[in-house]
Amino acid sequence: MLRFVDECRKEWRRLGVPDAVAGEMAADLEADLAEAQAEGVSPEAVLGNGFFDARSFAASWASARGVVPGAKRPQERPRWSRWALVLLAAVSFVVTLGGLAALGGGRQASVARVSIGHISASPFGGPHGVFIGPNLPSPVAFSHSAVFAVVGLLFVAAGLIGLALTLWLWRPWATRRRRRGFDDSVGLPSYL
Amino acid sequence: MLRMAVPGSRRSQLLRGVLDLCLLAVMDEGAAYGYEMTKRLAARGLSIVGEGSIYPLLGRLERDGLVDTRRAISNGGPPRKYYSLSRQGRKALAAGISEWQATREAVDSVLGRIKEEVG
Repeated sequence: MLRFVDECRKEWRRLGVPDAVAGEMAADLEADLAEAQAEGVSPEAVLGNGFFDARSFAASWASARGVVPGAKRPQERPRWSRWALVLLAAVSFVVTLGGLAALGGGRQASVARVSIGHISASPFGGPHGVFIGPNLPSPVAFSHSAVFAVVGLLFVAAGLIGLALTLWLWRPWATRRRRRGFDDSVGLPSYL
Repeated sequence: MLRMAVPGSRRSQLLRGVLDLCLLAVMDEGAAYGYEMTKRLAARGLSIVGEGSIYPLLGRLERDGLVDTRRAISNGGPPRKYYSLSRQGRKALAAGISEWQATREAVDSVLGRIKEEVG
């Protein structure tokens, strides 16, 4: 019986359970097992299957109590943060689409202007057979196109950053890792 | 491929779902330490021999704030950790009992019919 408690102590030490907590659990266990023995009750009746695997038993108990460093249970996120993530994803998506539309619109405007310039520049296209010369886009047209491109690029970049941020924030939920000694599906120690 | 659980395994699985509720229920009778709760369960025919231990479950209930704890001298023995229901634990117990009763009635209505046909 004492050997079982010692095995548990070793496991708790190995897991980094604080000495005070490990001492308290060991004392409770020892007192319970001693009382059971005095009443002629088998340790198995007190510890169940845990009696046959002290290390798993100790790890499960410590894990369930949340006293294993670095094995804290992932906290449930508040509802508002989920909605915030959904909102961030939606806004990012819309901003990305807006950016793409701005880029497409700027390019269309440029193409339209260049086409007009070509027709006007044709030596046979002048209304009076007069060579008009290349009809270059005006500086104002250039600045409009550039503004479209810059704003579009900025929007696309911001939208993509927003989508990436959403994925990064969402990842801990999707890749919640299974912890040793704990059954997430039912929230109970795995050997129970 | 689906496999039927062997009887022993089924008992374990059923117990997994309700043992925490049973612990809260025996605590409702009064504060108790670990082994004392095992005895209360056994007195009602719920032996954990061949099953898991209640200690990790008590740890989880404590961490979740469903039980309050205090150390006190037991009957002539060493100081023990006494567990009692917290306010949150009482609510969880009430909710759990409702869930259990609803589930039991539904399962009974399915299995009871088969039993009548077989019998």
